[in-house]
Amino acid sequence: MRDPAGNGGTEQVLERLWGFLGALRAEGIAGSPARREDFFRALAVSAPRDAAAFYWRARVTLVDDVRLVPAFDAVFGSWFLLREHPAPVSPAGEESSGVPAPRGTDTGVLPPAEAVLGSGAHAGADTVTSTREFGATGDSRARLLRALEAEWRRVLPSVRSRRHRPSRSRGTLALRATARLACRTGGEVVYLRHLTRPPRLRPVLLLVDVSGSVKQHTPDLLRLAHAATRAATGGAEVFTFGTRLTRVTAALAHPDTGRALTAVAHAVSDVDGGTAIGASLAEFIATPRFFSLARGAVVIVVSDGLERGDCDLMLRCTRRVALAGYRLLWWSPLACAPGYRPVTRGIAGVLPWLDRLGGVRDLPSGLAELRHVPDVCARPRREAFREWPDTNPRRQSWQS
Amino acid sequence: MTAAGPLDEYRLAGLLAGQGYFADEGLLTAVHLALRLGKPLLLEGEPGVGKTELATVMASVLSRPLIRLQCFEGLDSAQALYEWDHPRQLLRIREAEAGTAGGTDDLYSERFLLARPLLRAVTSEHGAVLLIDEIDRADSEFEAFLLEFLGDFQITIPELGTLTARRKPFVVLSSNRTRELHGALKRRCLYHWIDFPGSEREKAILEAHVPGLDVEAAERLVRAVTSVRRLPLLKRPGIAESVEWARGAAALAEDGAAWPQAMRAALGLLVKDEEDTRLLATKAAELFGDA
Repeated sequence: MRDPAGNGGTEQVLERLWGFLGALRAEGIAGSPARREDFFRALAVSAPRDAAAFYWRARVTLVDDVRLVPAFDAVFGSWFLLREHPAPVSPAGEESSGVPAPRGTDTGVLPPAEAVLGSGAHAGADTVTSTREFGATGDSRARLLRALEAEWRRVLPSVRSRRHRPSRSRGTLALRATARLACRTGGEVVYLRHLTRPPRLRPVLLLVDVSGSVKQHTPDLLRLAHAATRAATGGAEVFTFGTRLTRVTAALAHPDTGRALTAVAHAVSDVDGGTAIGASLAEFIATPRFFSLARGAVVIVVSDGLERGDCDLMLRCTRRVALAGYRLLWWSPLACAPGYRPVTRGIAGVLPWLDRLGGVRDLPSGLAELRHVPDVCARPRREAFREWPDTNPRRQSWQS
Repeated sequence: MTAAGPLDEYRLAGLLAGQGYFADEGLLTAVHLALRLGKPLLLEGEPGVGKTELATVMASVLSRPLIRLQCFEGLDSAQALYEWDHPRQLLRIREAEAGTAGGTDDLYSERFLLARPLLRAVTSEHGAVLLIDEIDRADSEFEAFLLEFLGDFQITIPELGTLTARRKPFVVLSSNRTRELHGALKRRCLYHWIDFPGSEREKAILEAHVPGLDVEAAERLVRAVTSVRRLPLLKRPGIAESVEWARGAAALAEDGAAWPQAMRAALGLLVKDEEDTRLLATKAAELFGDA
């Protein structure tokens, strides 16, 4: 193989390559011997003609996830000093990709009590990148979390699975299993076997607002989401959004709530920042692998719905999510207040598309709200506006 | 495969282009290495960038049969690997009873085995091209069934023993990334992310797939598609859509419409979303040139 950097004998080349692999391992790329073996075999069976060919041989064998490509490119560049290697457009990172947020001048975040009757114009849209710790969980919370977990499991609607399960007496006749049994009885069908489609829980999709306007509730809202990921057998997917969308399902995977929240704090960079609900939802819809998670799922948006500036994008995107999902619930910390009425432009606009607008600001209110889910799933769709009778009984139409 | 030596990237590029598939250097390297190292190739990318198409084209390049396994929720080993032909086994037992056939010792022999896609790929005489499409739609447990096959191209049937491929199949897995695949599966594969093509390559694709498209029109179409992809659309058009659109517009232009109008009229083939259509309608003049 020719040395892509153009100097040195075989020994030096090998040393260089091993150094490169070591640097990759430090970045968490291609740690396994199998990947390294592939890399060397690839170089052995077909020597790269030029730097670009070398780059591609290394990337195809060593990288197994598109998210790792930027890190790989950085290491590759620093080891082989190739300024002009064919920098392929690395597609948007999976876990966090920026949503261009309109810059606003107002960063002020109103306390909920004041914001109740606000127009939404005060929700900031500045991109503040910060992480924060979410505080300890505590014993009383731990008890509540266990209750929440059980409740999630109880309230989620079920569908019949596409995966057949053998059964002794119910369901359709399982010809194969029956025939196999008949082999034992001399080709005579004596015993029958059946197949059923057992129920499975519908998946849950949680979109949790972590912007500054819900700052004080964020830790509990994330704990609520964590309980959902632990409980839902169909798999709960959790995204956070402030000024950008972040998929935090993997970060929430740890069974311990405290550790999971710490992981989320590291993963999410826009905690307590501005709000760009519309842009975040638009990104969710525009990414096919995200959007397909909404299909047939119970979608829950946890947000105060205070969009900065023009709500049009948020309204359109909410409608799309409502159409894709099985039910769309909106949990707002503001709706816990006794005198709350959904009159801000954002919430009033999305209300006709919601199946429920509920108040959730901490774990007890979350538990209470969860108990409404079976009712919401039992009644016709888009009935949320009936629970807020004095707001605007006319179903608004803003489709055109 | 043609007999003349190994397929390097140059020859591969030529052969694929002959079938109307224009791959970039990364994809060529991935295919080349998959063939040389005898490993499966895991492809990811936006919908409509040609993941599935690659397998189809490779089947004709290698002159091997294409075997396709479409994944879905609930897919199990009986549908993907193999299945015993129980009705025939029953008949066989009856025959043995009636004395018209020998014993029942061969009940679990290859005669009574129904080969499903993976087993067909293993037993295929000249090696096959196997496409495992949208692997992310199958349950994550299903991936475990694939590991033995992807690692060694063999399938173990308890009653028969292990069947190993006489000639390694060329295996392409495609995924839309709706869920994370297991590390064990990825480790057995080479990985490549297919990106949207550059404008030169897209032009070549259009010219190959749309008969009678002149150079100027192709350029115009590619320019438009490139700028459409830059817009904040809910679903960016893939290559499949842009080819369809070019065909539609070309057909209209042949009937005598001017190109800008033809492009506008055929927009439904490029963008399949009501909101995106409306957005494009507002920008039609700058995108497609004045009518």
